[in-house]
Amino acid sequence: MRRTAPARAAALLAALTLGLAACAESESGGGGGGGGAADESGPIKIGAVLDITGAGASLGVPERQALELLASQLQEEGGIDGREVELIIEDNQSTEDGAAKAINKLVNEDEVDLVLGASRTGPSLAMRPVAESNQIPMISLAANQAIVDGSEWVFKTAQNDRVVIERMIDYMADQGHTTIGLARDASGFGEGVQEMFDEIGAAEGISVVAAEKFAPDATDFTAQMVNLRNAAADINVIWGIPPAAGLAQQAYVQLGIAAPVMQSHGIGNQVFLDTAGDSAEGLVAPLGRLVVADQLPEDDPQADVINEFVEAYTAEYDQGPSTFAGHAYDGWQLAIDALREVGTDKQAVRDHLEGLEDVVGISGTFTMSPDDHSGLTKEALVLVTVENGAWKLLPDQGTGG
Amino acid sequence: MARRRLLLTGPSRRSRRGDVVGIALLAVLLVVFPLVATPSVINVGVYALIYGLAALGLSLLMGLAGQVSLGQAGFFAIGAYTQGVLVTRYDFGGLAASVIAVAVTMTAALLVGLPLLRLRGHYLALATLGFGVIVAVLASESDFLGATSGIYGIAKPEMNNRLYNSSTEYFLLLVPVVLIGLLLARNVVESRIGRALGAVNDSEVAAESLGVDTFRLRVQVFVLSAAYASVAGTAFAHWLGVVNPNASNFPLSVKFLLMAVLGGVGTVYGAVVGAFAVEGLDDGLRRLIPELVPGAVGEVQLIGFGILLTAIMIFLPGGLHQLWTTVRRRLAARAGPGDGPSGAEAKAPPDEGPLLAREGRPAPGTPLLEVRGLTKRFGGVTAVDGFDLTVDAGEIVALIGPNGAGKTTAFNMISGPVVPTAGTVTMAGTRVEGRKPHVFARAGATRTFQNLQIFTTATVLGNVMVGRHLRSTSGLLGAALVLPARREERAVEASARELLELLGLGADADRLAVDLPFGRQRLVEIARALALEPDLLLLDEPMAGLSGAERRDLARLLRRLRAGGMAIVLVEHDVEAVLALADRVAVLEDGVRIALGTPDEVRHDPAVVAAYLGVEPEDADAVAVADSGPAGLP
Amino acid sequence: MTDLLQLLFAGLSQGAVYALIAIGFVAIFTVSGVINLAQGEFAALAGLVAISAAGGGMLLPAAAVLAVSTVAIVAVVMERLVIFPVRGMTTLVSLILTLGVSTGLKALMLLIYGPDAKGLEPLFPGAFDLAGVSIRYQELLILAVAGVVALAVYWFYEKTLAGKSLRACAEQPVAARLVGISLSRASLLSFLIAGCVGAIGGVLASPIYFTGWESGLTLGLKGFVAATLGGLVSVRGAVLGGLLLGVLENLTAGYISTGLRDAVAFFLLIVVLVARPSGIFGRHAEARV
Repeated sequence: MRRTAPARAAALLAALTLGLAACAESESGGGGGGGGAADESGPIKIGAVLDITGAGASLGVPERQALELLASQLQEEGGIDGREVELIIEDNQSTEDGAAKAINKLVNEDEVDLVLGASRTGPSLAMRPVAESNQIPMISLAANQAIVDGSEWVFKTAQNDRVVIERMIDYMADQGHTTIGLARDASGFGEGVQEMFDEIGAAEGISVVAAEKFAPDATDFTAQMVNLRNAAADINVIWGIPPAAGLAQQAYVQLGIAAPVMQSHGIGNQVFLDTAGDSAEGLVAPLGRLVVADQLPEDDPQADVINEFVEAYTAEYDQGPSTFAGHAYDGWQLAIDALREVGTDKQAVRDHLEGLEDVVGISGTFTMSPDDHSGLTKEALVLVTVENGAWKLLPDQGTGG
Repeated sequence: MARRRLLLTGPSRRSRRGDVVGIALLAVLLVVFPLVATPSVINVGVYALIYGLAALGLSLLMGLAGQVSLGQAGFFAIGAYTQGVLVTRYDFGGLAASVIAVAVTMTAALLVGLPLLRLRGHYLALATLGFGVIVAVLASESDFLGATSGIYGIAKPEMNNRLYNSSTEYFLLLVPVVLIGLLLARNVVESRIGRALGAVNDSEVAAESLGVDTFRLRVQVFVLSAAYASVAGTAFAHWLGVVNPNASNFPLSVKFLLMAVLGGVGTVYGAVVGAFAVEGLDDGLRRLIPELVPGAVGEVQLIGFGILLTAIMIFLPGGLHQLWTTVRRRLAARAGPGDGPSGAEAKAPPDEGPLLAREGRPAPGTPLLEVRGLTKRFGGVTAVDGFDLTVDAGEIVALIGPNGAGKTTAFNMISGPVVPTAGTVTMAGTRVEGRKPHVFARAGATRTFQNLQIFTTATVLGNVMVGRHLRSTSGLLGAALVLPARREERAVEASARELLELLGLGADADRLAVDLPFGRQRLVEIARALALEPDLLLLDEPMAGLSGAERRDLARLLRRLRAGGMAIVLVEHDVEAVLALADRVAVLEDGVRIALGTPDEVRHDPAVVAAYLGVEPEDADAVAVADSGPAGLP
Repeated sequence: MTDLLQLLFAGLSQGAVYALIAIGFVAIFTVSGVINLAQGEFAALAGLVAISAAGGGMLLPAAAVLAVSTVAIVAVVMERLVIFPVRGMTTLVSLILTLGVSTGLKALMLLIYGPDAKGLEPLFPGAFDLAGVSIRYQELLILAVAGVVALAVYWFYEKTLAGKSLRACAEQPVAARLVGISLSRASLLSFLIAGCVGAIGGVLASPIYFTGWESGLTLGLKGFVAATLGGLVSVRGAVLGGLLLGVLENLTAGYISTGLRDAVAFFLLIVVLVARPSGIFGRHAEARV
């Protein structure tokens, strides 16, 4: 008996809460972000969600450095039309849920005008629905084409895996290979890659005959490499990001697999060269021109942009930029260009991005369209090898180049 | 099955009222919170509410069932994944999907719990840890579940044409869910089930002897706890819009554990308070530490979690709830010293009429308990050897013998906790040897213990109410939903109080049982056993520690129970008292029954006389301890 | 066949690391009934200390010694600060307590050494081929050192007075106290041993398996599974459990799916706990209660 009175009070309170909640909800109106009229005063806010820690750190850290550098440069120039540009960087810890959490915060709490990121495919895919439903432009720095396929609000600056694979298939066809052994990243970056090799390779009679997966934070690759060795394909492809891609390369050489090996565009940084060490010698990978900036012919249309960036980045951080820093550079420049041209109205920014034509960036020359929110073709990539621990432009660029 | 050392002592029944105050206070705070907090703080609050639900489930499991799970995130993930799949692939509405998600999770918990809950303590904790990791690995291997990327694009919930997409709205959407969760949890804690599980934590063997099916209840609470996790999971899926294998990762389970422990295990509101504290700390440290340590990136807030978890376990094992009760007690003490009822001198009624006669009791003289060839060997020692005994309804049978004769072992084999090496025990037609004590209880028999097995955290009334376990029926669901259970609770309490009056314990009903003098604690145990309304009552040395007057009262009580049709078997040292009371006497020596007959026959049996000569009653105690009830179980 | 041998060998060297960590679990559990979930962090911390010392120009052997002694000190301090003061310690309480320490240590490593996983440079870099099986010198080193350490620990418990008294504490706490063995010292010693073997495991593993602030979680859990396979009270069982686990993981990765590698350990854990709590090599049954 004695217990029922307080219980009843609690029940009453719960009911009261329900009621109050309903009231509060109806008062707060539409709430949330949305593509309404833009606020034309105060600083312009750009949010960035990057893989600063975790498996994608070797991508996210240089990206952060590039963005910070560019933001401070812009600051010195006085912002956009006198409006300050505020850069808010969030770490997603290389996780999909971390990325969703971060973009939710940027949109709901900081009310940013545009979002950059994430560094890798998985987190970018997790962010996409938030950007779409809040109708806020987002520029991903990651590779997988699924990030932008059929998207209205999401764009990306890294070369699509499709164009990368086209470039790789061209090279394989030139070399006369017909069978591929694939060891791919088990996360978003590697998803769908096997199918794409088969699809694009079909025309040349090239197909994947063995496929293995590895986690982005894997350190032991014995099992995968043993299986690749057994498959005895004409050429093997390791599709991942450092450090895993570097360790896989090491295991590949250690287990004495004779076939040549290609890596993806996910390896364009010093971390890869450090972890792979000697084992990297002779591999072939399609990368952006940034890593071989010093070897580019003078008439290369990207040479000026790249050299200027390399110079500024090196002066600031005492090390050269990776291709990922380049993706961040492109993302930032596209964003700033749009904000400068059309202001912070989100719809206008989106439309502007979609209409970009022949914008020269670090990773290539961008031409967007409603069907292509990536804007790069396989010409954005050059074939690169490793010689004496450094990137080297492959003299024979094959039919694709 | 030694008296289990407790991880965390459940809250005493006296402090449960604090829960109601806590929940009420929490309700007010939760409603006011979004009106005063900044958006970023509300955002933290949303996660606190979501995680708090999962932590609440864990807190129930720890507080009620005394079990720790390190895999709570596994169920959280199952709920979230199911929700994600149903909403994004099959276009289910959020509400319908969440009902299915919770059902799926509970089924999974049942399947996982059935094998795992046979494990105890740290083994269970570690097995659940394994479960959580396995869920994560399977999810990342399943293409259907989106492999490592998981499932994304789960929209914010939309109800009555309102999209709950800001943190304030989502917070207010969650508040009623959490409050209902709290109320249900509190009802369960206060219910017949909660009471029984509290008793299990105090003395498993005693609770089982009163008919509590420990395993079954543990499984039920495990499943309930998973249900809380899955509700949290569905809320998480909608808020974040993405579910990936991280939802099942070990650090998240640790976070739930931290929330439950910080808030105070077993207190229902504690987990939610703990969740706010942990999430607040999480957010605060994420901002603070990079300021203090330049260049710090990543999950640096963990340092606070680590220190907090350790410090609480060392200094404040009861969590914030302990802090709160201490403060309240201090305040109350200042207000004026309260004194408990004394009631030591309550007299047993001098009535001599039959007691607890009830419909459907076996007619006096029908065989009730049949023991055949009961044998127990411990290694090379035969403690009991081929023991036979038949007990009829309505008679008092005494089992006597020197110390170490195997009386208690025989008792333990008959009532369940010890598995016999050979022989059969049939109670009212049910074979019970080697079965758990609750089977014996279900067959209509129960027992008391030589070394008391009082439920230490319960009041006298609470102890006796556990005895009504089999005479009441409300299950977990009924308890959670209050209404039918509430009426039954009143009936249980009324009959327990009636029984206490009968035994002269009425004035002590609301005192903690352990605060009573030893002799009266024995009476509480007997009252508790009688609450079951057994057909057969086994009493292990009921006279020990009682004064002369108390012994006479007890003897009178037993005669009245016999008159009511109950059969009673007692092990007793006080041979004279036994011979005066019993209808028949069995004598054990070195595990062998050396005599059986009326008191007169036994008194003059030469073998019995020989056995009792040369026994030093003084060194009885040391042997008795070794031979005593539950402590000697395997 | 070559593949099988290759996988077996990789499994054995990985298993040796698990075995070392498992020995740490056994050392502590037998004395005080504490399951030390920070055991994996001992290994991770040792790896990181060695990496940073070697990175600072210290010779590899010296860096290894520094790493092991640092961890030994951490283990001893942990015992005095966290385990010793708690009255009425149960295994369950110890789980939560050491979980707290493990979390704190992890964060500390993150703050000091940063978020990136790195590998210690191997003492003998390179690999050689034996009948088509590629063997890294570092893997040989792991097996050799782990073997020596395991034998040493085994010898300590079986042959020395100090070791025997530790076992006495575990098996007969009251008797041990009567003959003057202090439980407090025994507990301290057990943490010292656990710290040392865990640290050696961590330093050995680092060149191949890399070390980051989070590495301890997986290492610790796998080490625990290995110890459980061996019944949690036997050094021999822990070593066998570790090797078995390493081999099974690699065979699963090679022949079934690499993604399932991490599930093997925990699947085994549950099966063993439910079906045979005394471990698959254990002889004397330990109650589940």
